[in-house]
Amino acid sequence: MAVYGGAERSLLVIIFDVHPCQKIITNHQHRFHQVLEAVIAFSNGHLLMKPDNRLAIIGCHSGASDYIFSDKDYAVVPTGINDGQYELFAHVEKCIRKNIKQFLSKMSNNLPAGESLLAGACGMGLCYIQRMKRELPIGDKMNSRILVLTGSNDSASQYMNYMNVFFTAQKENVVMDVCTLEHDQGLLQQGCDITGGAYLKTPQQQGLLQYLMWVFLPEPPLRKKLVLPPPVKVDYRAACFCHRQLIDIGYVCSICLSIFCKFSPICTTCHALFKTPGPPPSKPKKKKPKM
Amino acid sequence: MADDDDVKEYRWETGYEKTWEAIQEDDQGNLEASVAEIIQRAKRKAQMERKGHTRLGMMRHMYIILDASEAMHDQDLKPTRQLCTLKLMEGFVEEFLYENPLSQLGFILSRNKRAEKITELSGNYKKQLEVLKSNFGQPNSCSGEPSLQNALELALSSLKHMPSHAIREVLVIMGSLTTCDPGDINITIQKLKTASIRASLIGLSADVRLCKSLCMTTGGDYGVVLDDVHFKHLLSTHALPPQAAAEHSSSALVKMGFPHHAPTDNKTSYLAMCMCHLDSEEGSKLDGGGYLCPQCRSKYCELPAECKVCGLTLVSAPHLARSYHHLFPVQPFTLIPIDQNRTPSCFGCRVQFKTIDKQVYKCEKCCEVFCLDCDMFIHDTLHTCPGCSTNQQTYQTLSSES
Amino acid sequence: MVFLDSENDSSSASQSASRHSNVNNKVIDLEDSSANGILRHKALQCANLYEYLITLPEDVIDTLFSYPIICLAVYRDLPDIGKHYVMRVLFVEQPVPQAVIASWVGQEYSKEHTEVVEVLSKLKVWQEASIPGGLPAWALNITFKKNLKVAIFGGGSSWGCNPNMEADTKARDVEYLDKYAMERWECVLHYMVGSQQQEGISADAVRILLHAGLMKRDDDDGSPVITRDGFQFLLLDTPAQVWYFMLQYLDTVYARGMDLAQCLAFLFQLSFSILGKDYSTEGLSESLLTFLQHLREFGLVYQRKRKGGKFYPTRLALNMTRQKGKSEISSQEGFVIVESNYRVYAYTDSNLKVALIGLFTELLYRFPNMCVGTLTRDSVCMALRSGITSEQIIRFLTLHAHSLLVAKGGPVIPPTISDQIRLWEKERDRFNFTEGILYSQFLSHSDFSVLRDYASEQNCLIWHCDKRRTMVVTKQGHDDVKKFWKKHSKGPISNC
Repeated sequence: MAVYGGAERSLLVIIFDVHPCQKIITNHQHRFHQVLEAVIAFSNGHLLMKPDNRLAIIGCHSGASDYIFSDKDYAVVPTGINDGQYELFAHVEKCIRKNIKQFLSKMSNNLPAGESLLAGACGMGLCYIQRMKRELPIGDKMNSRILVLTGSNDSASQYMNYMNVFFTAQKENVVMDVCTLEHDQGLLQQGCDITGGAYLKTPQQQGLLQYLMWVFLPEPPLRKKLVLPPPVKVDYRAACFCHRQLIDIGYVCSICLSIFCKFSPICTTCHALFKTPGPPPSKPKKKKPKM
Repeated sequence: MADDDDVKEYRWETGYEKTWEAIQEDDQGNLEASVAEIIQRAKRKAQMERKGHTRLGMMRHMYIILDASEAMHDQDLKPTRQLCTLKLMEGFVEEFLYENPLSQLGFILSRNKRAEKITELSGNYKKQLEVLKSNFGQPNSCSGEPSLQNALELALSSLKHMPSHAIREVLVIMGSLTTCDPGDINITIQKLKTASIRASLIGLSADVRLCKSLCMTTGGDYGVVLDDVHFKHLLSTHALPPQAAAEHSSSALVKMGFPHHAPTDNKTSYLAMCMCHLDSEEGSKLDGGGYLCPQCRSKYCELPAECKVCGLTLVSAPHLARSYHHLFPVQPFTLIPIDQNRTPSCFGCRVQFKTIDKQVYKCEKCCEVFCLDCDMFIHDTLHTCPGCSTNQQTYQTLSSES
Repeated sequence: MVFLDSENDSSSASQSASRHSNVNNKVIDLEDSSANGILRHKALQCANLYEYLITLPEDVIDTLFSYPIICLAVYRDLPDIGKHYVMRVLFVEQPVPQAVIASWVGQEYSKEHTEVVEVLSKLKVWQEASIPGGLPAWALNITFKKNLKVAIFGGGSSWGCNPNMEADTKARDVEYLDKYAMERWECVLHYMVGSQQQEGISADAVRILLHAGLMKRDDDDGSPVITRDGFQFLLLDTPAQVWYFMLQYLDTVYARGMDLAQCLAFLFQLSFSILGKDYSTEGLSESLLTFLQHLREFGLVYQRKRKGGKFYPTRLALNMTRQKGKSEISSQEGFVIVESNYRVYAYTDSNLKVALIGLFTELLYRFPNMCVGTLTRDSVCMALRSGITSEQIIRFLTLHAHSLLVAKGGPVIPPTISDQIRLWEKERDRFNFTEGILYSQFLSHSDFSVLRDYASEQNCLIWHCDKRRTMVVTKQGHDDVKKFWKKHSKGPISNC
């Protein structure tokens, strides 16, 4: 039958933001458990789709990022409980619970202030995907994607790292999906747009699992056929280096491409000295010589 | 690199090299490991050379002069020099515009003792390649003799009008060993030098003194290809932005616009014609999407573009961001002996270190340890150290260098 | 006038001037295999899980759905869009209007939607239901829904075999199990091709092979010989072989007095179990234990001792339902290189594999670790005659292509070779065989022409020759023409 697809495998890397300052965690103690349950169910949902599917989960907060689940955890140790759950799923569930507990207990004492360093965790994910690609048997194909699940605030301080991650993902055909629980994340939106992933801000936290299963479980090739939330308009305006404000028109250093919102005589990035500002309209004219 | 060209001897003039001694057999008498190590070392060496120039020539304006003479029919590059060049050019143009987002390219062909400009400088690689294919890719495209001087003069006449902050470059792909010139080419070379145009040349046949002096005088690179792989390698060295020499170009702040999508989200989205297709044959379509120039509100369907109405350069922020890694590269990692007890696995991909690896790579900034594959991947592609970027103290912020 | 439908044309039996004879001795005749060779044969049909399940009666499917593990297998086998639908309605308690579900896919994919809906309905995964507004709706099968949830989230009741918690003192590693499984399986295949190693296969296994039509009793001495299906079977990849074989086995389950649902559930449990782990036989019913012994014989499970109380599933049993794509066992080293000069190099020391290569090549050399053969017209035609199709040969060569060839990309078999094999098969298809009845020896030309015209009007005339007054009509048309002739001859000129 034509509807039966080929056996491509797909690798899903979930970046799970566990920063304790997220509102969803501070507001309700039990909310975090709900999110965790959703992550576990979603992970197993992914493994359920195809027998060859692979999974990795990276936990991330402001102090550290670490693997919650990776290929090392694939050796299934029977749980001893036989309640009808597929052994692998039971094992995955147990592993995630155990490792996340470990990860959280390490953090509790000396957590540095600051936001969750999601870009770095994505970088780790890309390294992992890279290795999985290398280890793939000859002739097999693998789709890989990263799902970022976060409730953190939007901030531009990791801009550079994010951009590097997005362009690498684009180059390596890794799709980046983002599910934010609370705030809109402009930067991550750009990442989704660049790599062709889905972006969703969950309208309500109650049905998190439903949203995950609906938008993020289908693999990118299948998504084309489904009716999903329309892509959001991405704000591609630049943030200036001096005040980190979004600007429409700015000045760009010809040496290092740093962006400034006002003319300044010296570039703060590469220390180049600039000549007189010159009337702005005259500059572009020079760039367009009449032949 | 260009400076020591005078003193560099040809390889056959240097002392006797015992190349085979670099290769050692391992216990089983295999060479593979040794060869792999040499390759790795070479790769890492190339990486080390590339670190940390904060002053790079990012706004490049480059004319590529292609030899379209009889000599290009030679079959020493498969299938012919012409087709091999065309194929590699396709890759190069794309890579060039990817690595140098605000740069512009143009093509000049030289055949029948003349030079003709087939494309003006622009940043649209699809259009460039289309024109190149129809002008250079045909079986009858290459004929007669090339004229290096005419081609250089033609490039010079366009490039000298470029703004002073722009890096001006000429890249010549030369198949022929001769050139048919109307006057003294040395004068042209001097003119190029005074206009601070950097000329590089890739020869497809043999080392020619004139070509070499052209490159040396203007500060470009000269190379002669060994085979198609080497050709590709030589080309790719030109894709990375060159270091900006202070005397060559004066820096400037260029005013640019960062357009957003046309406002389709509010219900009163209005239709508009895009400016980029106005003069093309199929004409411009009327629709709601696209990008609006923040200065004059004219619409464009893709970025980057130069506003035809008010002349503002329009780019998107990710476009600029694509080249930031040249400015803030990841520092090379240091080789350290493997210590399986302290660090059992790679920080990036979590691969288990095996004793066979012998050496692993450590980032000096965040002290995390990586495997060779991740080391390569981080420096070549990712340009962000996962260790540093997951550490509150070391992650790279926008203002880290200020 | 009498028309005879006897097997032989018998001039002696003719009581009339007009005699018909039977020319259908070249027609498919299932008893007569010697005649089959020249006819195109239908390729071996290997049903997938979906095709198999829809053949089962509804109540059996319902029983099957009471096993979480089967729900899991069925879910995995669904088309991608189907998986999406099921996932989305899994947590919805009420039936979902059909129009709502149809709106989940884009307009341009509505055809796929219809297909998926059909698959889901046929599998009884969901049924039509009505909701208060009177709109047609879909509701997931309650058993399926409950047990799929159990499979994913747990919380069901214990069933089947438990993994042993304490470590086995003489645990077998994966490598050993793989070797064991392949040995057992190849033993069966060996038996089929009749090469050496004839021992080691039980009467029960032979019975299954016979039942499956892969082998049949020889007419002369009653010993089992391989059939055309058997040849095709040999060229399948191992997982497909196992699956085909198990389907045939399950057919015989009723006859053995076993419970089909239980056996299937056990099989799926095996296919979802962990390689290299031992499971306890405790709590298995008597019939399942017998079933286990059969599986053991074919290498799907490993048991050290018959009554040891534990068993290891092998790779053969794992992921049995996946025939698409490469499963783990078939991705073992490819060994065949086909050159454009029709030479086939097979790097193998297995007699079976050499025998398989020998099915369609002329073997030239045989070395300890490799053999060389050439594809010739004769050797391929021989294979085609024994029922193998050209596609199967090509598939076999592609499937087992040497990993170096696969890594290089491009076609693994030179296109000239695959084309030639197909051409050789086409060569055999120059004849079209149609069953028919011969009418001859008409007394007068007018008689002949009347009947001929009638037959051609009825569109059942295959061939005729005016000079010799003979004609052939199709078998379907025969009765009609016969009746007409009887009426005609009884009519004005009643000469009978």
